[in-house]
Amino acid sequence: MIRKILTATLLVAMPVMALAQPVPLGAIEVMSGPNAAYGTAIKAGLELALDEVNTKGVLGGRKIELIVEDSAANKDQAINAARKLIGRDKVVAIIGPTLSNEMFAVGPVTNERKVPTLGTSTTASGITDIGPFIFRTSLPESDVVPVTIKAAQAKGVKTVALMYANDDAFSKSGFDVMKAAAEKAGLNILAIESFGSKDADFSAQLTKIKALKPDAVGISALVEPVAGVLLQAKQLGFGKQTLFFGGNGSNSPKLGEIAGAAADGMMVGSPWFVGKTADNNAAFVSAFNARFGKMPDQFAAQAYDAMKIMAGAIDRAGSTEGEKIAASLSKTDFTGVMGPFQFTEHRDPATAAGVVVLVMQSGKFTIAP
Amino acid sequence: MSIPGWLDDFLWTYQNLIHGLGINGLLALSMYVVLAVGQLSLGQAAFMGLGAYSGALMTMKLHWPFALVLPASCVVPVAFALAIGVPTLRLSGVYLAIATIGLGEVLRAVYLNVDLFGGALGLNGIPERTETWMIYALLALALAGFWLVGRSRIGRAMEAMREDATAAAVMGVNVARYQLAALVCSAVLAGLAGALSAHASSFIGPNEYGFEPAVTILSYALLGGIGTPLAPVVGAWFLTVLPELLRGLPEIRLAFNGVIIVLAVLFLPRGLLGWRMRRRAA
Repeated sequence: MIRKILTATLLVAMPVMALAQPVPLGAIEVMSGPNAAYGTAIKAGLELALDEVNTKGVLGGRKIELIVEDSAANKDQAINAARKLIGRDKVVAIIGPTLSNEMFAVGPVTNERKVPTLGTSTTASGITDIGPFIFRTSLPESDVVPVTIKAAQAKGVKTVALMYANDDAFSKSGFDVMKAAAEKAGLNILAIESFGSKDADFSAQLTKIKALKPDAVGISALVEPVAGVLLQAKQLGFGKQTLFFGGNGSNSPKLGEIAGAAADGMMVGSPWFVGKTADNNAAFVSAFNARFGKMPDQFAAQAYDAMKIMAGAIDRAGSTEGEKIAASLSKTDFTGVMGPFQFTEHRDPATAAGVVVLVMQSGKFTIAP
Repeated sequence: MSIPGWLDDFLWTYQNLIHGLGINGLLALSMYVVLAVGQLSLGQAAFMGLGAYSGALMTMKLHWPFALVLPASCVVPVAFALAIGVPTLRLSGVYLAIATIGLGEVLRAVYLNVDLFGGALGLNGIPERTETWMIYALLALALAGFWLVGRSRIGRAMEAMREDATAAAVMGVNVARYQLAALVCSAVLAGLAGALSAHASSFIGPNEYGFEPAVTILSYALLGGIGTPLAPVVGAWFLTVLPELLRGLPEIRLAFNGVIIVLAVLFLPRGLLGWRMRRRAA
């Protein structure tokens, strides 16, 4: 009896399955460990966009099946995940991984198998040099920081001191960009000071900088040490005459939560802002809030756009072959919550038009006047 | 001879895991050899890093062939083992552990601040030169070597030192010499493992050789046991495969991983393979 029902179900289901076989798409994100917040936000952004994409489907009504694998911020686990996605799940493309270091390990593997790989949060330089199948939608720091520095110059900044955390890839590469951008903008760099990401005392560096009286201090580090620097600067008597600005690491609501009033006036460039006044952004923010019960952050927004860009590319490719998807990805012309989006010939984002400069005011970021 | 398609696919999918099993097996033996003489040294991750960085630089900057790079990548770890071995082996127990953790942290700071090592960005684009057979040939060789040594007179001396170093010294065992030799062996194995892993995954970074991996390597030996050389290797295999087996449970993966290790330590205090090596009567 049961067998009969099974056979009947199978017979009914088979033609449907053949028609609408889902398109497997992989994602490798940090879902466990201390960096899990990034992966969780990205997964939420991907899933929200996936629901919208799957109402219509791609390639004539086929649904996208998203398979998310955890990398635990570990190089080997990220590679294992990529090989499993490609070898067993036969994914047509991969979104992620979360961290630049993971991409440096995973990229060569996916590129060798001609599986298009789209980073949504990998900002280090050299990512797309890995190969012709490696793309990213995340604006590298080299596109965001110059916008911030321009805004600082508009406020009359001529001399600057730079500070950075020298022990993580993200902060170091952000600093390299900040230094180059400051030199290009014609700013006079008075001092360069480094510290460790887990340091709690920055008074030696700040005292030295204070004596030099720069117009501005640029910081490239993750949000916790940035907040620490700002709190101590306040204690050491840096006044309103010194403008502080940061790289992408400072672009987190946590800055206001930790540093409070000490962070007031801090300037940060961001590829996205929750209060950005584009019509599709408002819809995204409210849909995200309705589904997950919290406000999206920049990583969720980037992932949301990336999923739509990838789905669009698969659809236009008319095929699930890696080479065709890569070719159609590079022809992307898309307007999402981050703003208008195209790839350069080198598979990086072509425009920084969506970048907004934010200023911290009483513990919250607002768009700079 | 051609490999069937499904097997080729399977090997490709699990290539990194298969490499990892062998490399972590070598690291477990590198831990085993110091524990076997009763020393708690946590320098294995640091030695591995020295092997990985020096090997990668020899390939990328000097363009040496891998047949030369692999043995040469033991040189730097061994030099460090000799340099730190002589003063630190006077320490024992937790003091030696602390001193060797210090070595790892000092080296991490060096990798971060010297441009040659790529700073926090690490080295990427290392050519893939490691073949699976190289890893397993070295592992088999090391296992066989330790097994033979363990069954010999030296093995008896090592076991005597492990149980009571003072008593062993009184019986005529040259404790300091055995301890230094064990540390050098440990550096050779970890250096090889480092060079093999660097040339298997194309990227290395400074945080892969700090405190956390040092403890992971120790846990291989703790879980497997140190009664025989095979035991720590089995421990390493278990801990390497476990996170992949748990891929189906993404939310509780890390917690589950931890629970299994705690249970194993509680209920198998001598390790997964608890028995001792047999030795002929003298």
